[in-house]
Parts: sequence; structure tokens; C-alpha cells
Amino acid sequence: MRRAVLPAFLLFGVAPFAAARQPAPQILGLRLGMPYAQARSRLNQIGQFKSEDEGQQVWTLTHDRHYQYAIIGFDRDRQVRYITVLARPDGKPVSYADVGDLAQATRSGGPGNIRYTWRVSAKGGHFEYLVIAKGKDQHYLDRFAVKRLGAENEREDRD
Amino acid sequence: MFRYTASSVGRATRFNLQPGVFLALAALCFATIVYAATPPSSTLNPVNGSSASWAGGGTAGATTDETTCVDGTDCDVYTITLTGSPANYKGLVLAISISHQNKLNDYDLYVHKGDLTGPVIASSTGGIPETGEAVVIDPTVSGTGVYTVHVVDSTVAPGDPYSGVATITTPPTDSLAHGNAPTYANYQSPPGLGDNSGEPSIGANFNSGRIMTQAILDTLQVTFNTNTSPAMATWLLKDGPNTSTTSLDPILFTDSHTGRTIVSQLFGTTSLSAFTDNDGETYTVSQGGGIASGVDHQTVGGGPFRLCTADQLLATPVPCAQLAVRGPLTQYPHAVYYASQDIGDAAMALSQDGGLTYEAARPMYTLVDCGGLHGHIKVSSSGIVYLPNKSCGNTQGLIVSMDNGLTFTVEPVTGSTSNSSDPSVGIGSKGRVYFGYVAGDGHPHITISDDQGRSWHNDLDVGVPFSIRNTVFPEVVAGDNDRASFFFLGTPSAGDGTGADTGPTPFNGVWHGYIATTYNGGRTWFTVDTTPNDAVQLGVICTQGTTCPSGTRNLLDFNDLTVDKMGRVFAAYTDGCITAACIARGNNSTASHTRLDNDGATKATIIRQSTGLGLFKSQDATPFRP
Repeated sequence: MRRAVLPAFLLFGVAPFAAARQPAPQILGLRLGMPYAQARSRLNQIGQFKSEDEGQQVWTLTHDRHYQYAIIGFDRDRQVRYITVLARPDGKPVSYADVGDLAQATRSGGPGNIRYTWRVSAKGGHFEYLVIAKGKDQHYLDRFAVKRLGAENEREDRD
Repeated sequence: MFRYTASSVGRATRFNLQPGVFLALAALCFATIVYAATPPSSTLNPVNGSSASWAGGGTAGATTDETTCVDGTDCDVYTITLTGSPANYKGLVLAISISHQNKLNDYDLYVHKGDLTGPVIASSTGGIPETGEAVVIDPTVSGTGVYTVHVVDSTVAPGDPYSGVATITTPPTDSLAHGNAPTYANYQSPPGLGDNSGEPSIGANFNSGRIMTQAILDTLQVTFNTNTSPAMATWLLKDGPNTSTTSLDPILFTDSHTGRTIVSQLFGTTSLSAFTDNDGETYTVSQGGGIASGVDHQTVGGGPFRLCTADQLLATPVPCAQLAVRGPLTQYPHAVYYASQDIGDAAMALSQDGGLTYEAARPMYTLVDCGGLHGHIKVSSSGIVYLPNKSCGNTQGLIVSMDNGLTFTVEPVTGSTSNSSDPSVGIGSKGRVYFGYVAGDGHPHITISDDQGRSWHNDLDVGVPFSIRNTVFPEVVAGDNDRASFFFLGTPSAGDGTGADTGPTPFNGVWHGYIATTYNGGRTWFTVDTTPNDAVQLGVICTQGTTCPSGTRNLLDFNDLTVDKMGRVFAAYTDGCITAACIARGNNSTASHTRLDNDGATKATIIRQSTGLGLFKSQDATPFRP
């Protein structure tokens, strides 16, 4: 009995920890692949519509302590293709490590221009997505984005 | 971070410094703040004939433009105060002129509203052998109060001081362009080359005299034999090793002065790219773009690095050293920049080795500031980087970097309205920015800035002579500071000529290519129909990107324009109407001109200036041969 408990502890203790360190395909309740109507409903809860450009919408976040704007792109099927949030200049800072395990990320750029990128497979392996945190500060991010790879309207057509 | 101004000019020699560095340099900055003329100022009244004169400060030196001068060393200041209210100046103007004796010297004249940090509302930047500069200002528009006259030594040897005069007088009445308009000839690519064009690029190699152009997957070298008249064109396919098989977006950029041509095919978040220094005979494969430069609508451009002059180095050594860090790393003397839109923002990356490798891309702006898609990079002779955008808030916008792509500002193009075509900029030899765009009403406009986009003036609709009501693909190139050309496709037909054309009645219109040219700094323009007997397109030209219905977006998103060493203008465009039947319909005013009547072709074509003055005054004595 005791021998069985330990593996179970590891299973339920480490697994949630690992899951927490792997960035999820969502930000502020907005998920990659979410249908337009659902995304719009969620956006209406958290912000105000500001502008739209070529299938990409800018929303001002009204209550979030961390982020001031959300930029959301939709694919041809009107599903969420990417979400980018911009840090609030006077808000509660978000560290790169808050996004995910930095050891699992690719770091690029240099001082004043830092970028961490995680490439993640969604649960079930249905699709892959990128998680990107970037900023000028060495600890805290300016922008945080999740983007579905291989989504319709990504770049199949010359534009 | 503080924004620090090294000279007293508003954005002259702009750097970003840490606060401590700023404080350490403050004394040095203020020690050289302004070097005035004699007397240093005057007051004028709203009376015809009210006048004042002054003597220049006796400075000497050489600068690239106003942003590279150091007051007291190679530029000086004179202040004019206009009394009364703007309404008092109805029917009057403020005329300011300077003159000197030696034809080998060249002074330039800039007038700021307010102090030197205020907008440049007028400038005169002619070159050798002229011995004078003059501007006219309308106080009913610009207001009364303080005007600061900034006289800059473009190239001035000691011993030739200038004298200045400011007068309240009656306005000039002549607003028409004088002289002969340029003429142009069209050169279609031969069969089998450039058949699948769309959003072509074009560049001129000043060293070889050849033209390079990109038509999707075809990189084409074009040589014009001027021993015959009209000149004969020879087109040769000069594909790069990695740029002729796949394309999400094609771009070609030629640095005219170095002769290097860079070919780029968008490929994910970077490009497949290679460069050539011999017009495509051999190529070097490059990194492509900066790390994570973005996924869409890339542009490549380049020109001189922004580096301090010797006078600036003496005056402000620390910021100059910061600039130098982003200077050349190899023998290749110029900067290369790569920019693209990404997810929610747009970024630019600097190459310090001629486009072989790039730094990690730096964000320029987000979609909160401007639309994601942008126009093409241009670099001034003093190393200022410009990137136009069709939608920044409610106006067109210009993204500016004055530190070799380290930081960026977004300048609204005041007075403009947004549209769906990417705008374009041309930069004159002394820094004047010509911003060509399609206004919200579809008309082709061009506006001028003499202070790196902080203020704009002389916004004109150059389509008026042809009653143009729909316009796409504005492209601009400049030569001398007061000479520029503006190429666009236009039609006099009203209606939604750039939409998806899904209504019950298809858009009916004949599109031609037009080039407008100024020889006086944008005050007046010659507009010429460069395809008068051969329409470029019948029906709609959809500019709604990948959402356009099939057959409406054959021309894709842009054209291009360049100038050769002699000042001759060349435009690259895609011809959508190439069969005899289509051309005949275009020339028949009573025929139908909808997309159903169009060929939907994608044929690479070049327009070459045949006659008239070019964009370099130094070449005026050698007339063009057709």
C-alpha cells in the first residue's frame, strides 16, 4: 500500500506542477481556436472595443491589473488565431517566469530587447502553438502572446 | 528614458539616454544652445513693407541636413516676431530670403514656428550654384508671434557670410507648374519573363547603370541601350539561389549607391533572401531577416547609418558613441533594415553587415498605435529611417527612427485621412520627406515634411488634372531636396473602385498609371498619364487583401518607383490588361470597363522617363534621350 502511495503522490504532485509550467493556449479566458462569438462575449466582459484592422481587433482592458490592451486575431473560420496583451505601464508587472518555465523557452534578442518563446503541443496534439513573452526589461515583460501554428489565414496566400 | 536634443533644433540629433548621462551632458548642451545672427531678432507689423535685415553669424562647415548641424558651428539663428493677430495679415505674407556671394557655397533656410523645437513650416534648400534661398509664409494660416529662422551651412567655406531680409508683402499669385512636363515610355517584359508579376519592386544600381526588378519569383536585370532612340531594353533572368521557388511576399531592394541588391521572399517569420553586388550574376545567401521579424508583408530598405558629424562628435561625444555602436561592422558602409508585421505589432531589425545577418527584431509599434501592415522602408542621407503606415489613429502615419533602428516614434500625418493602399515616402537629398498617399476619398495626395514628420505642409491632390477619383499603390521617390516623383494607378470613375465588387453592378472604370513630379519642393506638380493608350486595368482593383474575390486582386498590393544616377525616373507595375481586345476596350469610352472585361493579367512592365528634367539638377545640362 505504501509503495503505491508514493507514485500516486508523484503523479498528482508533479503533474500539476509541470502543467502549470507549460504555458496554456489562452490569455484572460481567451483561448486559441475559440469561436468568434464566444471570444467577443469574453472580450465584452473584460474590456471595450477600440479598433479593427484586417481581421485583428484591439480592445482596451478596463479592469485588469496587469494588462492595458488585448489584440486578437481571427482566422478565416472566425476562430481565435492569436491573442496579444500589452502590459499596463503603471500596472502590476508580470515576469517572464510567470508565463512559463524559462528553461523550456528559447531566448532571443539581447539587453533591451528580450524575447522568450515556447513551442507547445496542445493537449491531445490537435495543434501546436507559440507562446511569446517579450520586453525591454530583463525581468518583466511588455507583451505576452499566444499564437496557433498552422491556422487558416496564417500565410497561405501571398499578401 | 529622457529624450535628449543635442543641438537646439527640435529633433536634431535625437538620442535616447539614461538620466545620468543626460545630466552629465546638460552643461555641454546648454553651452552651445544657440548662436545668433546680427542683430539676433526683429519685430514686424502687419503693414505692407514692414521689413528687417540681418547679417549671418559667419559660420562655416558642411552638414547633411538640419538635423546634423551644430548651432554656432555650422548653423545660426534669427528670430522674427509678428505683431497683431493673424486676421491683421489678410492679403499679406511674410517673405524671408537669404543671399551670399560665392556660387560654390550652399546655405539652406528653415523657418520654425516658435522656437527651434517648433515645426518647420517652410524651407528653401536649393543647391550650388544658387546664391540665395527664399520662403513665403502666410500668417493667416501659420499665425503670429515668434518665427525662428535657422540658416544651415550645407557646404560653406569660410569668408562668405550671408545676409537675410524679412518683409511683409503681398502674396505671389502664380501657383502653376512652369516648364515642360516629363514624358515616359512603357517597356513590357518579354514573353516568358515577368509573366506572373504582382506587387513588383524596382531598384537602380548607380554603379552599373542597370535596373533590377522583382516580379514574384523572377528577379530581372534590365539594361537600356541608349545608342538607339527610343532606347532598347534587354531583360535577363537573374534569380537568386533561394528566392525563385516559393513566395509569400516578394521584395527587392537596391541600394543605389553601393550597388547591392537584396531579394527577399517571405517565409514564415523570416525570409528566404540573398544579395548580389553585380546585378544578379552571383549571389550570397543571407540570414533573411531578424529573429522573429514577423509573419507578413515584409520590407527591406537601407542607406547610410546615422552617425555624428565631426562637429556633433565634439559637441556631444557620449550620444555619438552610442550611435556608433550601431554603425557598420564590416567594409559594407550602409545599414540594411528588415521590417514586417507580427502578431499584434510590427518590428524592424538592423543589419550591420550589409544584409548578411540581422539583429533580433525590435518592436516599432503595436496595433494600438497603427494598422499592422505598412509601406516600405526609406533611409535619408543622414541615416534617418522612415516607414509609412496607412492608418495610425484617424490619419496616415510615419514611423521614424533616428538611432539606427533602436527606438521608434509614430508621427501622425496631420491633415491626411486613411485608406486601404499602403502609402510611400521619398526622401530628398537634404532630408525633405515627400509622403504620397491615397486619401479617404480615393484621391492621390502628397504632403511634405521638413522636420522628420513632426509637421506637414503643402498637401495637394495631384490627381486634379485628370479628375482622379479612385487611386491605388502610391509610390514616391525623391532626388534633390526639391525634386520628387509620385507614381500611382488612378481612374476618374467614381464609386468603390478598390472594393470586393460584389454589388449588383460591377465597378466600371479604366485605370492608367500616372506620375506627378515636382521641381520646386512640392509647391507645384506636373501630373502625366504615363499609359495614355493602354489601360493598366479595367474594373476593380481590390485592395482588401486575402479577402478579395478571385480575379480582382491580380495586381496584389503595391508598385514601385526609383531613380537612376542621371535623375531619370523608372516605375515598375503589373499590367492587368495586355491583350489587343482589352486595350481596345480601354480606349473606347463607350465600351464596358468592368472586371469581366479585364484580362486579369499579371505582366511585369517598366515605365522609363523619356524626356524632361530629372530629379538631379546637376544633370540638367545633359538632356535625356528618349
